[in-house]
Amino acid sequence: MLETEGLTKSFKGKKAVEGVSLYLDKGESVGLLGPNGAGKSTTISMISTLARPTSGDVRLNGKSVVKDPSAMRSVLGVVPQEIALYEELTAHENLQFFGQIYGLSGKPLETAIQHVLKLVGLEDRQKETVKTYSGGMKRRVNIAAAMMHKPDVIIMDEPTVGIDPQSRSYILEMVRRLNKEEGLTVLYTSHYMEEVERLCDRVYIMDHGSIIASGTKDELKRILSGEETVWIELDRAYPELFAELKMNEHIIQAAETEKGIKLIIPKGKRMLAEIFQLAERHQAQILNVNVQTPSLEDVFLHLTGRKLRD
Amino acid sequence: MWAFLKKDILVLLRDRTELAVLLLMPFILIVILGFSLRGLMAGNTEALNMQVALVQNDDEQAGITEFTEQLETLELQEQTVAGMAAAAEQASPFRTLQMMLASPELAEMISVEEMGAAAARDALEEEEVVAILTIPENFTRLALDKMLLGTGPGTELALTIEDTTSTRADVFETLISDFARALNFETAASRVAAEEGISLEGQGAMELGGLETTSSGEPVDSFQYYTLGIAVMFVLFVSANVAGNTNVERNRHVFDRIMLSNRHPFMYLGGKAISAAMIAFTQLFILFFLSTLVLQAFEWDSLNFWLGMALVSAMLSLCAGALAAFLTTLTVRLNSDAITTVFSGGIVTIFAFLGGSFIPLTGMPDIIQELGNWTPNGASLTAFLQWVQQRDLAAVTDPLVRIGGTAAVLFALSLALFPVKGAN
Repeated sequence: MLETEGLTKSFKGKKAVEGVSLYLDKGESVGLLGPNGAGKSTTISMISTLARPTSGDVRLNGKSVVKDPSAMRSVLGVVPQEIALYEELTAHENLQFFGQIYGLSGKPLETAIQHVLKLVGLEDRQKETVKTYSGGMKRRVNIAAAMMHKPDVIIMDEPTVGIDPQSRSYILEMVRRLNKEEGLTVLYTSHYMEEVERLCDRVYIMDHGSIIASGTKDELKRILSGEETVWIELDRAYPELFAELKMNEHIIQAAETEKGIKLIIPKGKRMLAEIFQLAERHQAQILNVNVQTPSLEDVFLHLTGRKLRD
Repeated sequence: MWAFLKKDILVLLRDRTELAVLLLMPFILIVILGFSLRGLMAGNTEALNMQVALVQNDDEQAGITEFTEQLETLELQEQTVAGMAAAAEQASPFRTLQMMLASPELAEMISVEEMGAAAARDALEEEEVVAILTIPENFTRLALDKMLLGTGPGTELALTIEDTTSTRADVFETLISDFARALNFETAASRVAAEEGISLEGQGAMELGGLETTSSGEPVDSFQYYTLGIAVMFVLFVSANVAGNTNVERNRHVFDRIMLSNRHPFMYLGGKAISAAMIAFTQLFILFFLSTLVLQAFEWDSLNFWLGMALVSAMLSLCAGALAAFLTTLTVRLNSDAITTVFSGGIVTIFAFLGGSFIPLTGMPDIIQELGNWTPNGASLTAFLQWVQQRDLAAVTDPLVRIGGTAAVLFALSLALFPVKGAN
């Protein structure tokens, strides 16, 4: 339904996005994962026709939309990372304005407003100005505004940034319902791994402006199928212990965490005894040890050598 | 287009700070400037009202009689003697001075009271009068000798002022100086004419002093002037405000949302222009209404007058809309809010000065007056003043054409420069 081929965007000679190719099938929910500055927002701007690619193409149903963006715009809803609303207006007035510029008027306009307000659970607060809303409520109206013209595809650029867990959960559930129940095609960008794991069928991982891996969640995790993650919870930080573990030839990757140390080791390699011995030698107090199969976070760490929120 | 208009108006109405800047501040300025500078405006002389003491040490009639008797002792033709006697009777300097002070324009502000020298001195010290005008002994006789015969030492009026910094005393001193200068000039001219055998009869009496007016129409008082001057200046802030919202819309990515709606970008631009025009018209209406209600700046009952005001307001509002579109275009094109900041922070002030919003341009160099007439606010102020003074549509045609022309140019530039693709 929607595909990009070799999308590249340069600013003053510097490539922000380079050779991004991806596709979305109808009704799919696809995640675009990457740390801040990875090029996700620039990619989205090009897909949504707001920025012209330096090179490459964006195609909707096989037809390029770079030169004629109107076909894409009529079926596309974009939820930007920013609260793209008039804070001085009420939710109803905002939705009325965005509905009107999409050509809605009269009863269909009011019906659409009430439909999206119900979708985001703000029917009761629709007459209040947006600036009086909480961060979560603003994000919900932000999504509602993108839904006014009943788009087939919705692109969400980190729609849960900076909100409380309850609102975040509400939004995630709403996106899931939009995709599963209403058949909306979703491109969801985030640097929250758990959101993408929860919502998306397939994932593209971006870093430094390029896609470094893609596939279903299981396909990606299979990258680390020969590995397992060991979490060691310590009573405090032990830099010497961490340094020694990092130097160990059998340990694939070692990272310090808030509570201790995270290790990626070859699956089946019996290393726990060795780890305990090392801890003993450094007089480190181990509070807990947890061995996990890999997550997308681990995949990302494996691929980029850094955490998503770095 | 209606959606853009409604949105812009609602956003403005909800922004109390901006509303205060656009409505309250100009009205406060009108009141302050109107009151503080009303003495300097023609048509409003109340602030210059003054009491003046006159100390009369001269016997005018005796002076005329002495002069006439003296003529008969000179070797002059009978006809000349008769003419000079008549001139002395009619053009006595003191009588001329009295006539000047009694003229309708001056009588409104100067009240002259004849006093004895001591009483006048006391009155001056008590600040009951701003000046003492003393007519010296033999003033008439000596003045007539000098004026008509060119003989004798002449004479001088004595003006005593206590507070030399007083505007009113200054005005009175200027009046008396002008009177003396004119009298001297007339004397010299008469003598030269007599020597050259030229008759000055029928040339009309020389005007002594009087009020200078800036036009041939009704004088404009300070409240009228500043209502119009400040209103046309603040219309420029409407353009800056509406265009400034563009940058807010860009920063909040609302602009992107609008571009994604597939609406032609000119709809957005047109919305800005119409919003600014309607807000400017409403602003002008409210300021004129308030000034008329609170300051009695204009009359209520003339429909014709208000139709003319509405016509000029509509043209100015149109220009404000075009200016908003132009500023919007530059803001989008340069992707910067510096345009509206520089405009509202500096250019409006320059335009206001050039256009005469702060002080009337009469007396300014021609180049400033000419430049002012090419600013939207300056041309509008001229149109408004012409209409208030003359109520003649022909008199406002020229400035209205300038405003319309400026609007057309600004709007054409906006259409040519606005990025229609909406993508960067």
